[in-house]
Amino acid sequence: MPKIKQDKNGQTNSISQVRYGCALGAMHSVSAIPGAIPITHCGPGCVDKQYMSLSFYNGYQGGGYSGGAVPPSSNLQEKDVVFGGAKHLEQLIEASLKIMDADLFVVLNGCIPEIVGDDIGAVVARYQEKGVPIVSAETGGFKGNNFTGHEIVTEAIIEQFVDKYADKSKKQKGLINVWSELPFQNTFWRGDLTELKRILEGAGWQVNILFGYGSKGAAEWLTIPNAEFNLVVGPWLGLKTAKLLEKKYGQPYLHLPVLPIGAKQAGEFLRAIAAFAKENEVQTEAFIKQEEREYYYYLEYFTDFYAEYWWGLPAAYAVVSDAAYNLAINKFLVNQLGLIPAKQIITDHTPEKYQEAIREQYRQLAEDVSAEVEFVEDGYIVGELLRQQDYGHKPPVIFGTSWERDIVKELKGHIVEVSYPVSYDVVLNKTYIGYRGALTLLETIFTTAISKSA
Amino acid sequence: MAKELRQIAIYGKGGIGKSTTTQNLTAGLTELGKNVMVVGCDPKADSTRLLLGGLAQKTVLDTLRDEGDEVELDSILKTGFGGTRCVESGGPEPGVGCAGRGIITSIGLLERLGAYTDDLDYVFYDVLGDVVCGGFAMPIREGKAKEIYIVASGEMMSLYAANNISKGISRYAAKGGVRLGGIICNSRNVDREIELLRAFAEELGTQLIHFVPRDNVVQHAEIHKQTVIQYKPQAKQADEYRQLARKIEENEMFVIPKPMTQDRLEEILLEYGLMDNIEDDYRI
Repeated sequence: MPKIKQDKNGQTNSISQVRYGCALGAMHSVSAIPGAIPITHCGPGCVDKQYMSLSFYNGYQGGGYSGGAVPPSSNLQEKDVVFGGAKHLEQLIEASLKIMDADLFVVLNGCIPEIVGDDIGAVVARYQEKGVPIVSAETGGFKGNNFTGHEIVTEAIIEQFVDKYADKSKKQKGLINVWSELPFQNTFWRGDLTELKRILEGAGWQVNILFGYGSKGAAEWLTIPNAEFNLVVGPWLGLKTAKLLEKKYGQPYLHLPVLPIGAKQAGEFLRAIAAFAKENEVQTEAFIKQEEREYYYYLEYFTDFYAEYWWGLPAAYAVVSDAAYNLAINKFLVNQLGLIPAKQIITDHTPEKYQEAIREQYRQLAEDVSAEVEFVEDGYIVGELLRQQDYGHKPPVIFGTSWERDIVKELKGHIVEVSYPVSYDVVLNKTYIGYRGALTLLETIFTTAISKSA
Repeated sequence: MAKELRQIAIYGKGGIGKSTTTQNLTAGLTELGKNVMVVGCDPKADSTRLLLGGLAQKTVLDTLRDEGDEVELDSILKTGFGGTRCVESGGPEPGVGCAGRGIITSIGLLERLGAYTDDLDYVFYDVLGDVVCGGFAMPIREGKAKEIYIVASGEMMSLYAANNISKGISRYAAKGGVRLGGIICNSRNVDREIELLRAFAEELGTQLIHFVPRDNVVQHAEIHKQTVIQYKPQAKQADEYRQLARKIEENEMFVIPKPMTQDRLEEILLEYGLMDNIEDDYRI
C-alpha cells in the first residue's frame, strides 16, 4: 500500500460528508445574478448534482429564472470526448441564444471538456465578437471547489464582460462593490445580502451588492469599475477579486473579516468603513443610533427570558461551517451573548495562505476570550472532534450542518443549521446577520434549545 | 485444444517504422498460413495502407461519428493482402478531442461487434508514437495484448523512447500478464547499430529479435502501396520480414523489462561510440 499523506487530524485526500460543491457549482453564482444565465458544457449529471446539493438540499432554495433545471447543458457523450466538444458547444450556444433571454450568458465547462482540451474560450470569442454578452469560465471540477469556481466566474465576468462594456472613465463617490457570501453555498445568502445592502445604504453608501434580489444584474456589474472602493466582507472569499480590481481599475479595497451579526459587530463594521473612506461619518452614526434603538427595543424584552429561564440554556457552543459564518457566529456569541467557545471547525477548504490570519482572528474573539480553530473537511473527523470535546456540565449548542445531526443527538445537544448542507430548514429570505438577522438568530437558537424537551 | 490467440502491440518512437514493419511482418505471417487482424491505433489511420493498397479504410471512429452506435462490422473491417483483416481506429483532428479515449472506444466497439473471431491466430495493435497517456496504453491494459515488441534503431532518441515505453510496460506487467517479446531493429545504418541494439536489449533483459536492414525496396513498395512481400516477393528484404515473422511465431522469450536510468542509457550510448559520432561527423 502506498503511504497516504495525512494532516494532523488524520485527514487524507478522501473525505466523507461533503461541505461544498465542485468548481462547476459556481454556475449558481451566475444564476444568482438577476438576468444572467449559465450555459454548462459538461457531462450528464454534473449540473443536476450541483443543483440538488447546493440549492435543493440546502434550504430548498429553488431554481428560479436561470438555475435548477433551466441552464442549457451540452450533456457531453463519448463522441464529444473523442472528437472534442467544441462544435457541440457552438450548437448549444446558438440554440440558447434563440430561445433564452438574458443580459449575460456565462459558459462554464466541467471536467470532461477541460481534460480533453476543448477551447471554450475560442468558441465563446466568436460570439463576443458579434457583440453577444457572453463570457467563458474554465471551471473544471479538478480546479477546486465552488469557492474557487466562484472566483473563476467572477474574474471571467469582469475580464470579458465588465471590462469590455463598462464606462470606466469616472469614479462615483460613495459607490462600493460588496464581495461577501457565496450565493447558494451560504444557505441564507439572499436574506443576508439584502440586510448587508440595507445597513450599508442606511449608513450612506451606494451599494453594488451584485448577487440576489437587491442586485440590478448585469447593468450593476457594469458599474463595478466606477466604485470608489471594494468591500470584502468575510475572512477570505472575495480577496482575490478585490486584488484583481485594485490592479485593473486602481480601486482600493477594505477587508473586514467579520461578517457582522448583532448591534456591536454591525456598529464596528459600519464605523470601520466610514473611517476607511473618511466619508459618511455623520450618517453612519445616525444610522447606528437609529438601528440600535430598534435592536435593543426587542432585546430588552428578550432579556427576561434570557435571565430567567431556569430550566437551563446551553452555555458552550461549537461552530462547524464555512469560514465566513464561523467567524461571524463566534464573534456574536462571545461578545453579545457571553457564550463559551468550545470547538471551532472551518470546512470550506480555506486556501492555506489565509489560514494564519484567520487563526489570529479567533485568538482575539474578545478582549478576554480566545479560541483555536481547526480546518477540517472530512465529516468523520468533524464528528470525532465534536465527540472528544469537553463542553462542561451542560449539553452544547452546535452550529453546523445537517451532517452534525447524529453527533448532536449523541451529545444530547442542540443544533442550529447554519452551513451547507442545511437540509432541515426551508429558507426564503431569512437572514442571520446585521441587526435584523441577529434577532432572528436569537429566536432560532433559543427556540431550538427550549423546544427540545417539548 | 483450441489455439490461443496472440495479441501483440507494437510500440516505438514516432516515425521509426512501426506501421511499415507491422504490415510487412503480418504479410510474412499470412504466408505461414496464419489468420491475422491488424488494428491501427493512430489518429492518422495509416497503419493498414500497405495491406489494403491505399487509405481505402473508413475508420471506426469516423463511422461511429457518422452512423452512431449502429455500426456494422463490415463497414469498418476490410480484408487486405493475404487475407489480413484491417481496422483503423482513427481519431480526432489534430489539436482537438482525446485520441487516447478514441482508442479505448474503438477497441471496445470491435469487441462488441465480434471482430475477435475464434479462427484468428494474431491481432496486431499498431500504436501511435510514445505511450503518451492512458488511452495509448489501452491495448496492453485489461489483458488485451500480452506481447509487446518495440521497434527501435541505433538513433539516440529512438532508444530513449524505447526505454520510456519499457517503463510503461513494466508498470502494466505488475498488474497483468503483459510481457516484452523483444526489440525489432529497423536499421538506420548507424555505426555499430546491431551491437548497440543488442547491448540495449540485454540491459532491458530482453532480446534483439531481429535486425531489419535498411533497403530502398521498402520505400518503393510503399510508393506502390504494398508490402515488400507483395511488391517484390523475391527481394532479399522480403526474406528479412519472413524471418522476423518466423521468429515471432517461434518466440518464447517474454519478459518484464528492466528499464534503465537515464545515466545508464547514456553510458551505453557512449560505449558504442554514438556520442562520438555526433561530435566528429557533421555530414547529413
